[in-house]
Amino acid sequence: MTGHLYQFAASSHEAGGDIFSSLGINGPMLLFQAVAFVILIVLLSKYVYPILIRAVDERQKNIEAGQRAAAEAEEKAARAQEEIAQMLKEARAEAKDIVATAKDEAAAMIADSEKKAKARAEKIVRDAHEQIEKDVIAARKALHNDTIELVALATEKIVNKSFADSVDKKVIATAVKEEA
Amino acid sequence: MAYNRLPRRKIAAYFADELLAGHDVTRQLAAYLVETKRVREARLIVRDIEAALADRGVLLADVVSSRDLAADTKDAITSFLKKATGAHDVKLRTSVNANLLGGVLIETPSERLDASLRHRLNQLRATKI
Repeated sequence: MTGHLYQFAASSHEAGGDIFSSLGINGPMLLFQAVAFVILIVLLSKYVYPILIRAVDERQKNIEAGQRAAAEAEEKAARAQEEIAQMLKEARAEAKDIVATAKDEAAAMIADSEKKAKARAEKIVRDAHEQIEKDVIAARKALHNDTIELVALATEKIVNKSFADSVDKKVIATAVKEEA
Repeated sequence: MAYNRLPRRKIAAYFADELLAGHDVTRQLAAYLVETKRVREARLIVRDIEAALADRGVLLADVVSSRDLAADTKDAITSFLKKATGAHDVKLRTSVNANLLGGVLIETPSERLDASLRHRLNQLRATKI
């Protein structure tokens, strides 16, 4: 390759011009373009780049903020997950306690109900016994009264029909003796 | 003419004495009651006279039976009354009431003895509960 460059330089020298002319470069034009380029750079640096940089910075900030927010959100989600797990654990424990308490209360209520039912049944039986006893007493009274009435009526009938004088005499004699 | 209103006891005592003396005082008593306008008290005065007689040893007893009493039954009643009241003379005023069924009911001015079957049956009925 070096060979080629030497060959090119030699041919240019042989043509009788300088190297810039050989390359087709116009010096003043180059200078002008360089100045224009510098001015362009200065203008861009002064008016465009700050805006772009600001926008980029802002975008960067936003991205970082979004990343932080995402991280925070992730952290919060993790914390929430932990809290939920903890709450679930507590809720399960509480539910277990509630169930145990409910079972105890239910058992107590059942025992109480059984006790009340037993007492009520005993009272019903006792009342029934008392009622039966009253009924028996009432029946005995009724029987007693009916018997008395029957005896009285039968005595009246028999005495009316067949009470002999001799018997009456004995009755009177007995009564007088008893009173004497 | 105005009369002093005598107490029944005094009237009874007077007529009892008169009866014991053997006087028939029926008309006299009736006249007195009419004159003193005390006819309404006749029953009470007669009862008082009977009581006065009883005090003097003469007992008048009402005897009610379900049938006529035999002589020995009357004697038994008389003896019983003499013994029970201390009267030296007992007169029975007998009557029949078939409702008594049997036995006898004896009433004196101060006592009453119901030994009738009716009374016994009533006593039996009274034991109803």
